[in-house]
Amino acid sequence: MSTMEKLAEIIRTVFDDDSVEIGSQTTAHDVDGWDSLSHINLILALESGFNIKFSQKELLTFKNVGDMHDSINAKIALRGDGVGKA
Amino acid sequence: MSENSNIGHLCADKQCEAGLTEHVAFRWLGSRGERMECTFGNLQRETARFANVLDGLGYKAGEVFFTFLPKVPEQFFAFLGSLKMRLITGTLFSNFGGDALLDRLGDCAARGIITRRSFLKKLRPIRDRLPALRHIIAVDVEENEEPGVLSYRSLMGKAAPSFVVPDTDPETPSVLHYSSGSTGKPKGVLHRHRSIGHQRRTAQEVLDLRPDDIYWCTADQGWVTGTSYGIIGPWSLGVTQIHHDGPYDAERWMQILSQEGVTVWYTAPTALRMLMREDDGLFRKFDLSKLRHVCSVGEPLNPEAIHWGRKVLGKEIHDTWWQTETGGIMISNRPGLPIRPGSMGKPVAGIEAAAVASDGTPVPDGQQGNLCLRPGWDSMFISYFNHEDVYRKKFHHGWYFTGDAARRDKDGYFWFVGRTDDVINTAGHLVSPFEVESALLEIDEIVESGVIAAPDDILFEKIVAFVALAKGCQWSTALELKVRMHVANRVSSIATPQEIVVIDSIPKNKSGKIMRRLLKARYTGTDPGDLSTLDA
Repeated sequence: MSTMEKLAEIIRTVFDDDSVEIGSQTTAHDVDGWDSLSHINLILALESGFNIKFSQKELLTFKNVGDMHDSINAKIALRGDGVGKA
Repeated sequence: MSENSNIGHLCADKQCEAGLTEHVAFRWLGSRGERMECTFGNLQRETARFANVLDGLGYKAGEVFFTFLPKVPEQFFAFLGSLKMRLITGTLFSNFGGDALLDRLGDCAARGIITRRSFLKKLRPIRDRLPALRHIIAVDVEENEEPGVLSYRSLMGKAAPSFVVPDTDPETPSVLHYSSGSTGKPKGVLHRHRSIGHQRRTAQEVLDLRPDDIYWCTADQGWVTGTSYGIIGPWSLGVTQIHHDGPYDAERWMQILSQEGVTVWYTAPTALRMLMREDDGLFRKFDLSKLRHVCSVGEPLNPEAIHWGRKVLGKEIHDTWWQTETGGIMISNRPGLPIRPGSMGKPVAGIEAAAVASDGTPVPDGQQGNLCLRPGWDSMFISYFNHEDVYRKKFHHGWYFTGDAARRDKDGYFWFVGRTDDVINTAGHLVSPFEVESALLEIDEIVESGVIAAPDDILFEKIVAFVALAKGCQWSTALELKVRMHVANRVSSIATPQEIVVIDSIPKNKSGKIMRRLLKARYTGTDPGDLSTLDA
């Protein structure tokens, strides 16, 4: 499963919506229920799902799912095990 | 002949009669950059169509109808159209989960609801438990596309654009909002059409609205601010509103204030505190010269926010105090009244407020008491739906007890002290600890739960949950995530605990009541006080 597929699966689980279409241009506006509070749940789920940690500073730079995807891939590459990378 | 007191009539038809047919009632700014203008003439026609839709479906005055929508034009057409039909009209926050919806729709035996396709997934699992619910109307489905769901577009397409609003007595029930208490399920706070008198007056005197203003109230229509001052007050004065369908975003919000030429802005302390964290350079990028008046509501506005407003926005920020039950602003800072940073201000015209002891005697100035209001104002709630006993208990010794504690200084300014119960005020939203505790207990791994409020720099109060785990269960990141998602999806994102503390058991008194006072003391590291009632 690619990073984007796994990312999309986590977003669908967190927001309890199997039907939502996720792509790199998807933003919080496109997903019902994605507000600043549920965003914390998503970050926790991503950290847990990919075994990574985001810094506070990084979180402020995410404008869309594509930014999240790139950050996750960079962390996986840094970790060196390649698990979950597209 | 006396004037028709119907809120729907006064916000739409009356404005057209006053010559505002071509005047813009609202500019809608969509989440993907869409922009649409709606005149009072359009508002009159679309609300009339929706009233005709409801009439055609057989609705009768006094039945309950809800909107469950984000900030989209249909929200306003449905809300006012339903009021024109003299239905009791409720609004539901669009992030409510299934449990929250079931509690509210079930309690008042709602007959109908308007929503959108993507929210149907929350309604389908509970529909069987809502036997009174006759109709679900969706704004973005076509006819026969979804089983058991009516198409808004199809119904509106067949409805006539004129509707004679029945003469409505001012005492007729109107708007219904559910509010959380410290015990039991949320209670339906019921208002009457007469409320518009107070909402109109305070929109003038406190929000300082004038005919040519561009006004932006950032509150969601799911909460009372979003209806009293995001629909009724401003439109009863024929004022143009901005309605933005999108979450908080510092840059986007500044862009709206600047590009739309907003003159009056009503927002929340949480949003202001988040803006305070931005670099001052952000605000210099935008021309805010048209902004004349800024007000705030939801939770106490700390003095730092007022000083920030003066320095960065070049404006005073006027804190206002009121609650769902009061229907409109009761105590405020406002034009002509010097601001004392941190104070709630003074009671508005026609409102008598006092800090009183539990026997109804006003306490001396400077001392803390129960914040009380003398009953009888226009926008005072008329009942808790199905809970008349709870309603009556709020009134005694000639006062309405608000549940807040405050003190009055020698010059008549009021200063908020806190709640007199366990209700949590997080980001301006009241959350019942009971509701969160109940949701936590639905999780197999949790056997006991206790929920408290703790101070927070941004949210004013944050939700802290104490949980005791079932035998053999271990706390883990996965379990934390499960807990957070369960509460967010079953109740709402607002009710999600910010912190979860695992303990061996929840302290209870001898009659089994959770001793939240002890949990608070443990969390804050303060003296727990009297432990004699603790069930050891």
